[in-house]
Amino acid sequence: MIEFDEQKKRLVLKLVYYGPALSGKTTNLLTLHDQLSLDGRGELMLLDTAEDRTIYFDLLPFFYVSPSGMKIKLKVYTVPGQVRHDATRKAVLQRADGVVFVADSHAAQMSVNFESFDNLEKNLSMVGLSIERLPLVLQFNKRDLPDIVPDDDIRRAWGPTGLPVFMASALKGWGVLETFQEILGLTFDAVNARHGLTARFGVEREVFLSEILRVQQ
Amino acid sequence: MNKGKPQISFVVGEDRCLAEIISRTEIEPLLRSLVKAGPVWAVVLDEDRLPLCRQGDDRPLEKLREISHPLLVEGEPQGMLVIAFDPLACGGAEALALLARDALQLTITNNLKRMLTTEMHTSIVQESYDQLVETNQRLTKSEGRYRELALQLERKVEERTTELQKAYSRMLQQEKLAAVGGLAAGMAHEINNPNGFVHSNISTLGRYVERMKEMLNFYQLLIAANTPLQQMREDTEQRRRTLKLEVVFSDTAALLEQSLEGTDRIARIVADLKAFSHVDERGDSDADLNVELERILSVLAPQIPPGTAITKGLQRLPPFGCNPGLLSQAFFNIIQNAIQSRSEGLQLNIYSENPGDEIVIRIADNGCGIPVDNLYRVFEPFFSTREVGCGTGMGLAVAREIIKGTGGNIEIESEEGSGTTVTVRLPNRNLAAIKVNHE
Repeated sequence: MIEFDEQKKRLVLKLVYYGPALSGKTTNLLTLHDQLSLDGRGELMLLDTAEDRTIYFDLLPFFYVSPSGMKIKLKVYTVPGQVRHDATRKAVLQRADGVVFVADSHAAQMSVNFESFDNLEKNLSMVGLSIERLPLVLQFNKRDLPDIVPDDDIRRAWGPTGLPVFMASALKGWGVLETFQEILGLTFDAVNARHGLTARFGVEREVFLSEILRVQQ
Repeated sequence: MNKGKPQISFVVGEDRCLAEIISRTEIEPLLRSLVKAGPVWAVVLDEDRLPLCRQGDDRPLEKLREISHPLLVEGEPQGMLVIAFDPLACGGAEALALLARDALQLTITNNLKRMLTTEMHTSIVQESYDQLVETNQRLTKSEGRYRELALQLERKVEERTTELQKAYSRMLQQEKLAAVGGLAAGMAHEINNPNGFVHSNISTLGRYVERMKEMLNFYQLLIAANTPLQQMREDTEQRRRTLKLEVVFSDTAALLEQSLEGTDRIARIVADLKAFSHVDERGDSDADLNVELERILSVLAPQIPPGTAITKGLQRLPPFGCNPGLLSQAFFNIIQNAIQSRSEGLQLNIYSENPGDEIVIRIADNGCGIPVDNLYRVFEPFFSTREVGCGTGMGLAVAREIIKGTGGNIEIESEEGSGTTVTVRLPNRNLAAIKVNHE
């Protein structure tokens, strides 16, 4: 959690899209930006890139104000996936409230996915977060492409982790909202359990989710 | 990671207030031009509605119209641009306000991006630097440890070398004792043999002396009784025959001769043994190696299998400066191996020569030989093919050490089943030469 000021009734949360290089993390954010209503969100901020690859991070902010006046700001980040930007990934992961792991569905990318997931686990523990407790959702992206690992195989390989798994094509625009909704719900539940958002501040889960997830008309 | 060290702490996502992102000096020129273009005043307010920068006149508000636009930070309204204008005097104020808002918004967004990238960059550089410092410290520490280890290792090697040298001299002593012990068994037999017949000869001589005493007593008796001469001649003749004194006399000489020969033999054996062990000598002296070889052969004589043909080709050698006790130990070991190489039909050849500036001694046998696989190991300490208890495995190892110690070398050629030749080459030097070299 980035900030929680009870006096000012202000809460700033951080979600991070993690995963190997070129798995579609930025495309996820672009799709959210395109599909969700401008009312509940800010502009997508893309920091400097090199050859169209993220080298720092991308940021898409969301806002929600509860009837009781509780202001919740949700900052959704991507990390650079290339191995060499590990320090940046670690910096972006700091104080994250939830992580979406975007995996590449291509058959040749499975070991790369595992490596990146290991890297996530290592970096989480380095910034003092526990992969066991942190809300975490898996997304297998690029389902629209040929030569992908079948659903069954993915569920067999990743099912034992107990993590929610989503199939998506960020480029075609499907599966992205579902993934986001899941991590949003899990993150809300985790923060609610710790800080009593509903009990103390009257923030209702379903209202919060539907406000953030308002689809553009 | 680096406790107690000042560090830039930066968390991606921390909110920034407007004053941190955009400075007064950036806003001021914009507002000034804005006011010049018509509006009476313009102000930028921060998130707490406090003015960050203001330009223009303070005129009563009722005559003026106000336009305000929010300023967004990360999409969230955090500040406000407010302009006031006289609706009668200033046309197009809305357009001016929008233009100014866009200009401010662009500056804010760009500044924020720059701040984020700079902070991110700085924190990454700092982290990498910290890691390098840490790695460097670790390397320095491990280098120190290795240096210490190396020092310890040197000391250990020195200690072990000293121990090894001590063990080696102990081993030489033990090897010598073992050889003397082995010799003693053979020698005992050699000495017992003459000792046995000298003993038996002396008992026989004792009995002979008794008979002679009896004869002399008989004479005295006859004389005392004034026996007539003729009678005396007959009686004594009779007694001489009874006592077989003719045989006794002739045998006595033989017995004495034999016994003296026996004691001489014992004396010679003892002398050989003493000379071989060089017990009376200390340190180096000039030795005639041929004499040493002969002596070794004689002390080994009891161990030489019967029917052995020994061929000696010993040419005159110059005196060789060495510790004779040690060097004869070396040759003893080599010759003993040759003797043990075959239990019958042994041919043992011992040659010495002095071609030019070296002394060459060659000991060859027609014994069992050494298998090729073992040939390169024969000089290894404790390498032995003999049964446990029958060999120390030190013989050739000791021989080589001794010979190397005199500046010489030892070579061994062998063919399994047909025999072994050991060649020892020694430098041509006497004691005087060694002393000159040392000075």
